[in-house]
Amino acid sequence: MGENEQIKSLFQRVCYDDSIQAYNELYIALCTRLIHFSASIVSSFHLAEEIVSDVFISLWQKRRDMSHVENPVVYLYVSTKNLSLNTLQQQKRHQHHSLDALNADMLVIAPEAESGMVSAEVSQKIERAIRSLPTRCQLIFRLIKQDRLSYREVATLLNISTKTVDAQLTIAVKKISQAIRFDLSDETAQTYLRQDS
Amino acid sequence: MNQEKLYALLAREMAGTLTAEEATDLQQLLQQYPDAGYIREVFAQNWAPAGKQYTGLQVQLLLEKHRQRMQEMPDTVRETIVPVRRSMWKLYSGIAASILLLTVGGYWFYSGRQQAPAPQAQLVTEKRMRTQVLLPDGSRVWLNAGSKLDYPKQFAAHAAREVTLEGEAFFVIKADAERPFRVHTQAFHVRVLGTSFNVRAYPQEDSAETSLVQGAVEVVLNNAENQVISLKPNEKITIPVHPVVAESHATTAPVVIYKSKLIPVQDSIIPETAWVQNKLAFKHLELEKVVVMLEQWYGVEIGFKDDSKRDLYFSGVFETESIEQVLDALETTMSFTWHKDAAGKIWIK
Repeated sequence: MGENEQIKSLFQRVCYDDSIQAYNELYIALCTRLIHFSASIVSSFHLAEEIVSDVFISLWQKRRDMSHVENPVVYLYVSTKNLSLNTLQQQKRHQHHSLDALNADMLVIAPEAESGMVSAEVSQKIERAIRSLPTRCQLIFRLIKQDRLSYREVATLLNISTKTVDAQLTIAVKKISQAIRFDLSDETAQTYLRQDS
Repeated sequence: MNQEKLYALLAREMAGTLTAEEATDLQQLLQQYPDAGYIREVFAQNWAPAGKQYTGLQVQLLLEKHRQRMQEMPDTVRETIVPVRRSMWKLYSGIAASILLLTVGGYWFYSGRQQAPAPQAQLVTEKRMRTQVLLPDGSRVWLNAGSKLDYPKQFAAHAAREVTLEGEAFFVIKADAERPFRVHTQAFHVRVLGTSFNVRAYPQEDSAETSLVQGAVEVVLNNAENQVISLKPNEKITIPVHPVVAESHATTAPVVIYKSKLIPVQDSIIPETAWVQNKLAFKHLELEKVVVMLEQWYGVEIGFKDDSKRDLYFSGVFETESIEQVLDALETTMSFTWHKDAAGKIWIK
């Protein structure tokens, strides 16, 4: 069973069987992704943890009316987005909030250094390249690479076309590729050396 | 031009939307730009947040915190939150308890062993050594120095999950209403649904204790009455036990049990669970007991040349310090001095 099917099946067990165990598993499977997403909007992990907790509480309360939900992952992301924007709105009144001003510190991802393929230096270069991108582009890259959402899911969540998602992701890939290209021969050589020994 | 296409195809491959036709194109481009093979490989790796990352333990604690917030919702909400199964569970345990009273004492403990025994695994730590293990049900256990944990290689599908502990361990238990978790020690056992807590039951010590960080547990004494004590978060229960040498009196002596609060030494460091984060912490503890902790922690031997020093009280948190640095720090209180003899044994006077 793929990850998405697994999440769908957990979601159904929550809605139709009142399974508290499935509910807990669903929370564990998704909470850190949603917290990072929320934190990029509200700029606080503490606040984001409460927001995501509220999203899940409301899921349990409304679990009987969830039959219209086709994609639970998108539903939870959209709920998290809305609650995050609302929270921000309440905190700083008179300001309009959108996903245009995101906090990059909560968004940046980089290859795990232990993976062996990538040195700490290259990893830092990638991090710098990602930070140089517009935050919305960073968000799209993260949602695809880290959160493993599909083009369609990201498009629904951000109210953009799948074409835009594709274009934005290509920009991110290009930027990252160019940042590490200079080290390419060096790095490849090292990989081969490592394999020899 | 071709390069732009390469980036687009790499992006689509990462997103899992590559068509068969595009896959062929990508193969051709990769032959044209051999360097791009490395970039492709980098995108295929696991990536992780560069800033804050949540560990498995933190995620478990997040869940506990979330469940607690859920319970604290106003009553109208609460009715919908409390699952039907929970009241059933109470009913079942009520029935189970009354059945228990009718059966011969001790049956409960041995009933599990009459069935075909599941293959067991054992985790043992020496002095100075601490380790952690992921149990087959996804629960995590940190085992402190000089301890032993027995657990089945596979938990049965609809039966309680049972493990046996000698020494000290911190548990983060995966919630499972159908299979309550039980930790057995010499003096008591702990009944759990989903929660994180610490159990300290070294056979050579004169008391055993359970500290609850989050969730809810019940401690059941292994005496004739099977006395049950419930713990709330940040509570600790201490039960006197007779060290293995004086076992002959164990059944006749009255048991005095006391509950106390978990009090942080500094910030959020709680002495009972600090060891899980590789910190050695104690608060208002007799030097005699501090010394036992130091012996376990550093694998050294410490003796008293002046017995009156045993009752001095100390508090402290240590992380990377050597045993000498710790003793020097405690010595600055001017209440005792220490030295090492030729054999390396430490003496306090």
